[in-house]
Amino acid sequence: GSPIPVGIDVQVESIDSISEVDMDFTMTLYLRHYWKDERLSFRSNKNKSMTFDGRLIKKIWVPDVFFVHSKRSFIHDTTVENVMLRVYPDGNVLFSLRITVSAMCFMDFSRFPLDTQNCSLELESYAYNEDDLMLYWKHGNKSLSTDEHISLSQFFIEEFSASSGLAFYSSTGWYNRLFINFALRRHIFFFVLQSYFPAMLMVMLSWVSFWIDRRAVPARVSLGITTVLTMSTIMTGVSASMPQVSYIKAVDVYLWISFLFVFLSVIEYAAVNYLTTIEERKQLKKRGKASGMYSIDAVQAMAFDGCFHDTDVDMDLTAFSDRCEENDTRARAASVSNVDTTRIKRKRSLKGNVGRIILQNNHVIDTYSRIIFPSVYIVFNFFYWGLYI
Amino acid sequence: MPYFAKLLLLMFCLVHLVESRKHRRRRWTSQLEVQRASHIYKKNHDMTKTWKGKPEQLLRVDDHDFTMRPAFGGPAIPVGVDVQVESLDSISEVDMDFTMTLYLRHYWKDERLSFPSITNKSMTFDGRLVKKIWVPDVFFVHSKRSFIHDTTTDNIMLRVFPDGHVLYSMRITVTAMCNMDFSHFPLDSQTCSLELESYAYTDEDLMLYWKNGNESLKTDEKISLSQFLIQKFHTTSRLAFYSSTGWYNRLYINFTLRRHIFFFLLQTYFPATLMVMLSWVSFWIDHRAVPARVSLGITTVLTMSTIITGVNASMPRVSYIKAVDIYLWVSFVFVFLSVLEYAAVNYLTTVQERKETKLRERFPCTCGIPHSKTMMLDGNYSESDANSLAGYTRSQMVPEEGKQEKMVVHLAMSNESNSSRKRGLKGHVGLRIIQNTHAIDKYSRLLFPGTYIFFNLIYWSVFS
Repeated sequence: GSPIPVGIDVQVESIDSISEVDMDFTMTLYLRHYWKDERLSFRSNKNKSMTFDGRLIKKIWVPDVFFVHSKRSFIHDTTVENVMLRVYPDGNVLFSLRITVSAMCFMDFSRFPLDTQNCSLELESYAYNEDDLMLYWKHGNKSLSTDEHISLSQFFIEEFSASSGLAFYSSTGWYNRLFINFALRRHIFFFVLQSYFPAMLMVMLSWVSFWIDRRAVPARVSLGITTVLTMSTIMTGVSASMPQVSYIKAVDVYLWISFLFVFLSVIEYAAVNYLTTIEERKQLKKRGKASGMYSIDAVQAMAFDGCFHDTDVDMDLTAFSDRCEENDTRARAASVSNVDTTRIKRKRSLKGNVGRIILQNNHVIDTYSRIIFPSVYIVFNFFYWGLYI
Repeated sequence: MPYFAKLLLLMFCLVHLVESRKHRRRRWTSQLEVQRASHIYKKNHDMTKTWKGKPEQLLRVDDHDFTMRPAFGGPAIPVGVDVQVESLDSISEVDMDFTMTLYLRHYWKDERLSFPSITNKSMTFDGRLVKKIWVPDVFFVHSKRSFIHDTTTDNIMLRVFPDGHVLYSMRITVTAMCNMDFSHFPLDSQTCSLELESYAYTDEDLMLYWKNGNESLKTDEKISLSQFLIQKFHTTSRLAFYSSTGWYNRLYINFTLRRHIFFFLLQTYFPATLMVMLSWVSFWIDHRAVPARVSLGITTVLTMSTIITGVNASMPRVSYIKAVDIYLWVSFVFVFLSVLEYAAVNYLTTVQERKETKLRERFPCTCGIPHSKTMMLDGNYSESDANSLAGYTRSQMVPEEGKQEKMVVHLAMSNESNSSRKRGLKGHVGLRIIQNTHAIDKYSRLLFPGTYIFFNLIYWSVFS
């Protein structure tokens, strides 16, 4: 005869988990069906309903509703099957189940972690198409109710809504399908603390290198390299809990650009050091024609080999060694000629002055970097947060 | 005459036979109790072949419709509940749930199950009778997974008393939700509860209550968790309302767990404190040792970052700040500031050097002390020559052999520097600034530890 109308009512008990890696969500809900079966009507004076537990189910007809796109689901069965059947004298039946279902949800991570996901759970009858069974929401949009304290740690549940539609299967026909839609907005705070803030601190730490004396080669290089290492660790940590998608995520954009900044600070120091070395070699050629040796002042020597020197060091290029005492004794031997060097200094000072101006000009790269790097990073931050929030 | 005697004998035999059969039937019904009472059997036959009856026949299960509850249509049936908690298996922060194993016992009265008995002793059955009679359909609200243990058979016991009282016991493991608040983690206390309710029967059909009031909940003596201290177990009961189905009785098993802090002290707090102290070591190292101080600062920053990542790995991603986060991030800031402090020291030293260089170039003079000697005297590196002894103190001299002669040289040279007196003032100021760079380090040696100790005092008094 005509199709039997089956009303559906859902009370969501909890959303257990949302998994990005599997792209699914797990929900526990009470699913209630309402329909009328004349064969189950019985005579009653008081017009009260009769309540049964799960064992009557096997003996009567119940609608065969299933969850489309579900991966796993089960009816709880402790202590007995969590099933209720309530039959009214006129044949109306209320059939209630407690189910946990894991269903697929297609997630778009291009704005992760500033994203909002829309997921939906779909109910449909397996065997009966639209001509035999009509599924509808019993109270329209109010059929969907939730427990008061339903909350997730990572998300904010924006809205629950119910909708219905028709689904067409080419081999079997048209079916009624009911949708439970909900939107989840991710809390940003955890990712700010875990990813953005450390990345920002690492970039700021790499700027410290521009303020350190450029002659301190090991210091600036290890500073640059260690910040690169820490950025790399942060990026690996974020990717561990994410599915391997083929597009770039918002957090990837931020981390990779920060990584680029840190990388550029290392390259900047390499440029500064290279230009300094060229200048010194030019000076060395000038001095080397006169004396065959070159004198570097104590601080430069210290920067090159990390040992303390307390006098000017005269040494051959080839004799540059790691053994500090050797250099020092050689230096003390050479300090006898200090008086001469002061006289020669006057002449040298002019040329040295020119050299030093050029050497000072390499400070220029550092001076510019001290301003350029922070300002470009701040501009990038304005763009990023303005775009995504 | 003998024919009549034979007839009489035959009749007598027949009567005896009939009587004995009746007698035998009566013996079947009370055989179970008789077997318990005595091991002497009147008839010597194989026990496995005698008991042809089934407990359903004994309890007249097929006579009644057990899909209906006892007293159907009448008043609500009271069902008493008794729980013995065997163990708390695990508490998971990431999933925000707990797993508990317990013995759940129901007590109710079903007239249909009463049977005649002389000795008034109960009959005990295992799980197979459960499917044939009515049992209350209690479930655990907010449970994620649960199961009745079934090794070696279903862990279910049914005990029927002659007057129809039933004791129904089962062993269950249930994983239930527990909303946890981590704002004081790891110095927090969590309160969790397990809720029992009948699925089908409302308040009017089935009344759930705790059988012995507050003493219905017993725990094994050795129930303990590795990470938590179980403070107390207690029971409550309430009514729960469902808009479509009505009012239900709900029983609660509440327990409070206090976390043991020791593991986190050892794992998180202590390494973080050590890293901060390690960063203070940098203030005591000579400020000329640039690679040393920079790499010390940077490596402590890297280690702090690793500790922070390690803590967050085992935590749910909550949207508020936890107590352990506060501690770790403030420590991170301290370590970061020590790196910035050395950058400032280094920068100011370099600036001063450059000023001295410019001064020297403007007035090239051979009467200045070469800078190398200056360095020996006061331990500051500089590119400039010192033109004045003002500001030099004995304490700043590096003790080395052969120092005295160089001192003499200095004194001699200073007599020649009359024209440099004006310059000397500027040089004096410069030297003061170079010496003052030590001041940043000196202040930091006191300021950083003092502030950190103060922060610790506030933190532990607020959260403990």
